[in-house]
Amino acid sequence: MIRFEKVTKTYPGPGKPALDNVSIDIEKGEFVFLVGASGSGKSTALRLVLRESRPTSGRVHVAGKEVNRLAGWKVPRLRRQIGTVFQDFRLLSNKTVSENVAFALQVIGRPKDEIRNVVPRTLELVGLQDKGDRLPDELSGGEQQRVAIARAFVNRPMILIADEPTGNLDPTTSAGIMSLLDRINATGTTVLMATHDNSVVDQMQKRVIELDHGRVTRDEATGSYGSEVL
Amino acid sequence: MQLRHSFTELRQGLRRNVSMHIAVVLTLFVSLTLVGFGALLNQQAVAAADQWGSELQITVYLCRDGDDNPSCDAEVTEPQKQAIEDVVEDSPEVDSWYLESKEEAFEKVKDLYGDERFEGPDAPLTADDMAESIWITLEDPNEYRGITSQVIGLPGVAGVQDLREVVGPILSTIDWIKFASWVIAGFLVLAALLLVANTIRLAALARRKEIGIMRLVGASTLYIALPFLMEALVTAFLGVALAAGALAALVKWGILDGLSGDLAFIPWIGWPEYGVAVAVIGILGPVLTVLPTLLLTRKYIKV
Repeated sequence: MIRFEKVTKTYPGPGKPALDNVSIDIEKGEFVFLVGASGSGKSTALRLVLRESRPTSGRVHVAGKEVNRLAGWKVPRLRRQIGTVFQDFRLLSNKTVSENVAFALQVIGRPKDEIRNVVPRTLELVGLQDKGDRLPDELSGGEQQRVAIARAFVNRPMILIADEPTGNLDPTTSAGIMSLLDRINATGTTVLMATHDNSVVDQMQKRVIELDHGRVTRDEATGSYGSEVL
Repeated sequence: MQLRHSFTELRQGLRRNVSMHIAVVLTLFVSLTLVGFGALLNQQAVAAADQWGSELQITVYLCRDGDDNPSCDAEVTEPQKQAIEDVVEDSPEVDSWYLESKEEAFEKVKDLYGDERFEGPDAPLTADDMAESIWITLEDPNEYRGITSQVIGLPGVAGVQDLREVVGPILSTIDWIKFASWVIAGFLVLAALLLVANTIRLAALARRKEIGIMRLVGASTLYIALPFLMEALVTAFLGVALAAGALAALVKWGILDGLSGDLAFIPWIGWPEYGVAVAVIGILGPVLTVLPTLLLTRKYIKV
């Protein structure tokens, strides 16, 4: 589903590459943690998957497409197959919960009837069926992240990318979010999550890929946050 | 593609940036009015040149019956006319020439003052009152002395009029006003472009979070850019409409109800020429707003 082949990414200016000859293969339906210190290259890897930037060398394949060779006008179509969740939720404060979730479908031209059907079902999936009319500011951090996950998942993407989704949440709320991501993964969606949160990684016992200074230093099928390098 | 969102965004965008949009509309209004004014003057110059001959022309008026010119004692005869034509034909300074008959001269007068003035038995002027003339286009506008001196003393020639002396000052005045209006319009067009660019920058900044989400969920560039393009078209439409109104007022009250009555000897432009000027600003207005919008939206909301 996601494959990096000897990917190197160098940003302009002096310094080491953000990613250095990285090769990763993530199968359909996998749940993968991407761990590593700040500056290890996690966000760069996610940006390459989203085709927000292109590798300096090597190839990135996402959902069967070599994204670095993808024409600009085909990028939106690729992104419709990828849901994205961030640490800071990125909700539109002037829209209600339902409107925030519906927005993701409206802007890709989905019919109104479909939106009316799918949005309540997705809110139910994330446990916010009673809060559709609330504004984001009226919700807790955990609930806001659930809205963000609902928005990322409402289009039933093949891949869900989560960049530090529990970074702003307390441990109990984080556990709830991880449980939700696990349920989404159980529907067949591939989940790739970049995190610093050792407790969630240790608790989930999923595949862990560790990056250090742009290199893969660990890739364990059921790893924990602090395992030794294999 | 759902247009409802785009229209909602358009409404919000216009409201959010109302002062900037007013500035863009007003700048467009003034600059397009000046461009349109230049287009009208250009057509005025063409109309004047068509009527009076181009600046390169000199006109040899032939004697008519009862001509009070001292060099004429009778209507020009055919042999005299032939002799004049031979001199003109053989002159190296002449590029081309044609003979304007009394009837053709009379038609010009009628076109200028209106047919109705010359109808009926008491008409103030008939074709017989007109002089025949030879209209000469020179090879080089500065080389006119030879042909002038060759024909001026010939029998049957009433006089030679160098149209550049008559028409030149009028045409050059029109040209100066035209160029001045285009230069000023050029500066204002630049100001309009910068204002449009600034407006888009502000709008993109105000909507950056929303645009970021749209990009991530897979909205196409066109979909994201559509509200910006629609804003550009609305401001262009308002600017063009105001400029067209101002030009219509100028043509109606300035020319048709004003100058064309006071200075009837000049062939004034009218509504058809106004149509051309409106077409020019009607194309230029949207280009001025849509082009920078397309360029800048590529920069700010690139997918």
